[in-house]
Amino acid sequence: MHELDLIIIGAGPAGMTAAATAAKHGARVLLLDEQRRSGGQIYRDVGETDSARPYLGKDYAAGRALVAALNAPGIDIEVDATVWRVDAGPRVIWSRGGKSHVTRARHVLLASGAQERPTPFPGWTLPGVMPAGAAQILMKTSGLLPRDAVLAGSGPLIYLIAAQMIDAGARPRALVETQSPRMLLRAARHLPRALLATPTLLKGLGLIAKIRAAGITRHIGATGFSAEKTENGDILFSFTAKGHRHQIATPLLLTHQGVVPSTHISRAAGVAHEWNEAQQAFQAKTDPWGRTDVHGIHVAGDGAGIGGADAAKAAGRLAALDILHRLGRLTEDARNQTAAADRAAHRRAMAIRPFLDAAYAPLPEILAPEGDTIVCRCEEITAADIHASLKEGAKGPRQVKTATRAGMGPCQGRMCDLTVRGILANCGATPATPRARSPIKPVKLGELAALTSHKETSP
Amino acid sequence: MASGTSDIAIIGGGVVGLSTALGLLRSGRQVTVFDGADMDLRASQGNFGLVWLQGKGADFAPYAEWTRDAVAAWPDFAGGLKDLTGTDVALDQSGGFEFFTDSEEFSDFAAALGRQQAVLGNRFSHEIVSGDDLRRSHPGIGPDVVGASFCPLDGHVNPLRLLQVLRCAVLGAGGRLVTDAHVVDVQASGGGFDLTLRDATRVTAERIVLCAGLGTSALAGKLGFRTRVRPQRGELLITEKLAERLPFLSSTIRQVDEGGVQIGGTKADAGPDDSETLEVMAGLARHAVQVFPALADVRVVRAWGALRVMSPDGYPVYARSRLHPDAHLVTCHSGVTLAPLHATALADWINGSVDAPNLEAFDENRFALSDAA
Repeated sequence: MHELDLIIIGAGPAGMTAAATAAKHGARVLLLDEQRRSGGQIYRDVGETDSARPYLGKDYAAGRALVAALNAPGIDIEVDATVWRVDAGPRVIWSRGGKSHVTRARHVLLASGAQERPTPFPGWTLPGVMPAGAAQILMKTSGLLPRDAVLAGSGPLIYLIAAQMIDAGARPRALVETQSPRMLLRAARHLPRALLATPTLLKGLGLIAKIRAAGITRHIGATGFSAEKTENGDILFSFTAKGHRHQIATPLLLTHQGVVPSTHISRAAGVAHEWNEAQQAFQAKTDPWGRTDVHGIHVAGDGAGIGGADAAKAAGRLAALDILHRLGRLTEDARNQTAAADRAAHRRAMAIRPFLDAAYAPLPEILAPEGDTIVCRCEEITAADIHASLKEGAKGPRQVKTATRAGMGPCQGRMCDLTVRGILANCGATPATPRARSPIKPVKLGELAALTSHKETSP
Repeated sequence: MASGTSDIAIIGGGVVGLSTALGLLRSGRQVTVFDGADMDLRASQGNFGLVWLQGKGADFAPYAEWTRDAVAAWPDFAGGLKDLTGTDVALDQSGGFEFFTDSEEFSDFAAALGRQQAVLGNRFSHEIVSGDDLRRSHPGIGPDVVGASFCPLDGHVNPLRLLQVLRCAVLGAGGRLVTDAHVVDVQASGGGFDLTLRDATRVTAERIVLCAGLGTSALAGKLGFRTRVRPQRGELLITEKLAERLPFLSSTIRQVDEGGVQIGGTKADAGPDDSETLEVMAGLARHAVQVFPALADVRVVRAWGALRVMSPDGYPVYARSRLHPDAHLVTCHSGVTLAPLHATALADWINGSVDAPNLEAFDENRFALSDAA
């Protein structure tokens, strides 16, 4: 039986790059991903769609090379594999087709990426309102095109999706953007540094030019979102911009307030996290190689702070190089020399972040909603419920959770942890990182029971 | 904010501290409850919610009697809380099982219930049911179950709602609740007590009741108590909500009123570590599927560990300090079951009323001084 050197969780840019790097230096790698195919969210199904969906663009197609590089000796890929627990040691417990497996390796790299920030406002849970990123996933996986949609929120992804929709012949009805000229002005002080990432900036300007050329209505500085269902099943979307209340009826309202690190798995593994004030999100705490405070566990990519695909690729390589060094396959000098180019690439990719974080910061009213707005979708807990628990003396995420049941449903707080945190912070608390417990994805009792006689596998 | 003087200071805002506070408030005292930080170890936020009699005090008659009184007092207590706060704690006392897959454990437990029956006489009843009889009355029970005991007096509540309702009841009865108030020091001074909070706030109180759960040991010695408590880890699973009701309640498998099935009952000495562990999670799942095979298809959404508060012999401690008679210590690991008595008779005992219950058997003089080392 050969011992596995490395288990990588998540086959996005960070995970795929790390797998290829580690295998190139002779490490035995197991790459696990929850989806049917490698690629992550950004390159979802990129190995399959070929040229059939050209509107997804050149950057998307660039993922094809990463997927192709996985076809190398030393890399085993398990798709449709849901990891539901990671132990120090380290070992990974993952499920596929109703059977759980316990796999041990010398190192584990968590590359679970990002998820969309929840966008709570009155009506956000109605059918017909969905996250813009989720709609983009549908475009990638099934070629489903949103018709007459309204894109609402902010962030580079909104422009990218709008441009992709225009190219696909499914023009959005309007863009309702929450960033204001004042926010852009405040962000401008980060522009000199962002110039290091000039190609990215130019790409963004190109997207905006395309939207403008297509004559799509843009509202800027929008606040006060609310959605209602109309009689014919459409969404009536209301917002305030330039001092006026506006209403647009649309079959589909796509919302977006940026992405945040997906930290459920790293928190449940006991990794220390920190609050990123600029990005308004928790992130795994790592050293420059992606190493965490839990022995044998590295984190690379958006899970350790949002940086985008190029930063994730560099971080995946850096983590792999460090792990190779720890495996005795690279000397310290070799690791450091090889890493120099990746460090530079990482720095370049991150240069634009302070600008983006400031320019497209989420709205305060989305971070800390009030009144009847649903905070926890699973348990249908409103912002008012959270406020009531604070009035009764709750001082942190744990007491809020046990008092209200927010975060106790099937998603275990993935959709509401940040909102609860926002409300707590708004009320003067300095909330700790909420704890996550396994199983991080639901697992059947029968499947769990079968583990009492489990054998640890090491393929 | 927390500074000032109060008649009685209760250190600990869990189920035990809040129940005790409620009783004292109802007896006319002025009470301030000092509750710790959000991330403190809190048995009241992780427990199973049983209101349970069978097996309790089989070998310690005072505990059997005290628990029996508490179980009998629960309906009135729950009703009173609902009147005070408008919230139902979902009390259900329709009887509970203890399931066995091991014949020896089954006969040992049956013998213990026999002893409990001898102590409580007609105030207790139980049945010992063979596996086959059980499967006739409850067709879904699995073939590995060799037998069960059943006590018609057993039941459960929603423990998180109980905690929340107690908070509201204490506030509604005029109590003060100081949150994020970790008491780091307490000293007797001039007929009263000086408390120091972590943020250096100083508070004085004429009397003190130490109900700090696993925080008890750190303060007990300063008040002259010899009681020390230790953590005992229990692990639990909770499933997705089910539309159907589970046809039984047991000490290890119960369906909460919201619909999820909770599975628990493990014991481990793991120090202050409240992690959930893979091996125990798998063992709990196997137990549930053995008892009721239809549960195999139900999904677990969360596992957690919680730490029980255990005295050296596992029984409650109600003690008055020999050095400082106005300091009391209350600790137990059955804070839910005993809550109705903590909210009534215990106040009489703390107040020194003539009709106070005799709690001599629960004094800490049963522990050797060396236990406090």
